[in-house]
Amino acid sequence: MSAITVNGLTKEYGDVLANDAVSFEVEVGETFGYLGPNGAGKTTTIRTIMGFQSPTSGTATVLGADVRDEAALVEAKERVGYLPSNPGFDETATGTEILDLHASVKGDSRRAELLDLFDVPVGRKIRGYSTGQKQKLGLVQAFMHDPDLVVMDEPTAGLDPLVQQRFNEFIREETRQGVTVFLSSHVLSEVRRVCDRVGIIRDGRIVTVERVGALLDRSGKFVRLRVANHVDAGEVSLDGAHDVSVKPVDAVAAGAAAGGSGAVASTATELTFTFTGDLNTLVDFVDDFDVLELDIEEAPLEEIFMRFYDDEGVAV
Amino acid sequence: MFEFAWYHGRRRIKGAGALTVGLGLLTALYVWMFPTITAEVNLDEYVEAWPPALRQAFGVESLSTIEGFLASELYAFGWVLLLGLYVAYSAASLVADDVEHDRMDMTLSLPVTRSRVLVEKFASMLVPILLVNLLMPVVVYAGVLAIGESIAVGDLVMVHLLSVPYLLASAAVGLLASVAVDRASIAQRAAVGVVFGLFLVDSVTSGTEFSWLGAVSPTRYYDPTAILVRGQWDLQGAAVLLGTTLVLVLASRELFRRKDIA
Repeated sequence: MSAITVNGLTKEYGDVLANDAVSFEVEVGETFGYLGPNGAGKTTTIRTIMGFQSPTSGTATVLGADVRDEAALVEAKERVGYLPSNPGFDETATGTEILDLHASVKGDSRRAELLDLFDVPVGRKIRGYSTGQKQKLGLVQAFMHDPDLVVMDEPTAGLDPLVQQRFNEFIREETRQGVTVFLSSHVLSEVRRVCDRVGIIRDGRIVTVERVGALLDRSGKFVRLRVANHVDAGEVSLDGAHDVSVKPVDAVAAGAAAGGSGAVASTATELTFTFTGDLNTLVDFVDDFDVLELDIEEAPLEEIFMRFYDDEGVAV
Repeated sequence: MFEFAWYHGRRRIKGAGALTVGLGLLTALYVWMFPTITAEVNLDEYVEAWPPALRQAFGVESLSTIEGFLASELYAFGWVLLLGLYVAYSAASLVADDVEHDRMDMTLSLPVTRSRVLVEKFASMLVPILLVNLLMPVVVYAGVLAIGESIAVGDLVMVHLLSVPYLLASAAVGLLASVAVDRASIAQRAAVGVVFGLFLVDSVTSGTEFSWLGAVSPTRYYDPTAILVRGQWDLQGAAVLLGTTLVLVLASRELFRRKDIA
């Protein structure tokens, strides 16, 4: 059985088509990343499957409950944890008062353990919380009743890098325990660390749903290489390199960026490209140059989208 | 059950306490002034000079007796107008403020029906309504005794008891505004505008051939002057107000169940 089934979900706000026949499934026990740029329709899907708004057409089920059936959905929510993108709490209450209220309707068997992990100043009024502290309080309430499914909208936004890392470890551990996690993000590098599969949405439509590994293989790396001497664009031939750009740069600046050993070449060249081939080929290619600087990072999401659309253009 | 009602109710105690203290001070001032004023001027002659519409608006029948004085100065102003507007204003933020500040998503993510959230939130309005009406009769009674006057205990109890349906109906107007609009400030203005507008309709048309128009106003069904001066308890009016409250709450619930939380 799927933990979440989204079936032809369409949501219109007046003239705006926020979700256009969105369909995908989240299997029980997996961590599914819902990826897309800001404004793509991620929050619309999430808020519809949580029952905060009704679909214009199509539907979705959460732990078997149709989101249009309030009674069934409310029953399912006993086993669902939820973290909105900007968790809103009663500012005049303390963290403890909020958790007490939530506990009174859904339970809190794991509250103490989670508070140890995420360190929320529960004795203080929420008015004095930072964005990160509110986010952590949101995380605690989302997991404290030991749910089977947790839905999170941009969960790592507002968390500092250290807490983000703790969050990633925590999610991996939860997944090992069999919890199904559905989370959204607009940053691929965040999602790849915890998710098994991703669904990518753009302009309200699902572009692809696939395993994270396959997506990364397809999306490739963004490479920026600065080398000594002049290089002609014609000299660059590398299997798996796309959108190659070759341009001369100020050698002193390039040398300084590399640490400035003193042996600065009089001319230098910057090569940038997206690489989807075998990394060994890339290493061999780089070996032929006098390297001043080398950056290899994950391709930005926007690049991936462009490639998907290019690929689609070719396929069609 | 009632977790939300308790939660929101508890958070209203402080505000309701402040309200009671404020009204208590106002009452003390009125009661303390009463002997001085009545000794110096004949208020009834003074009131005769008022336009009839103004007399009707504040239910002025006799200012020279403590009952008539309290009915028009304290209850017609403090309860019908001030408290009526206060509860409408407060209730108007019950839903809209949570929606506006992203708290409603958090609440509805819990295993609770929208109907339950709405009804329990409305129930929390009972805290200010009941607290004020439990404490104030004691203050009024003690004040009246302190200046050597007397007042019928039964009428005093009824003027407070019968204000509860009136205040619930005013709060229900606020609730409906709160569900219909997603911005708390607009809902509050709408609720206050409607309750005040209905008060005006009832007072302005009162005693004219258009007085039937005032029948749509909650103020028509709660008359402190009739209770305190003439000892007339309008139980039928109270029933009308409770029925109105029920209809408004059910309409709000239906609207809330169907609406997309923005």
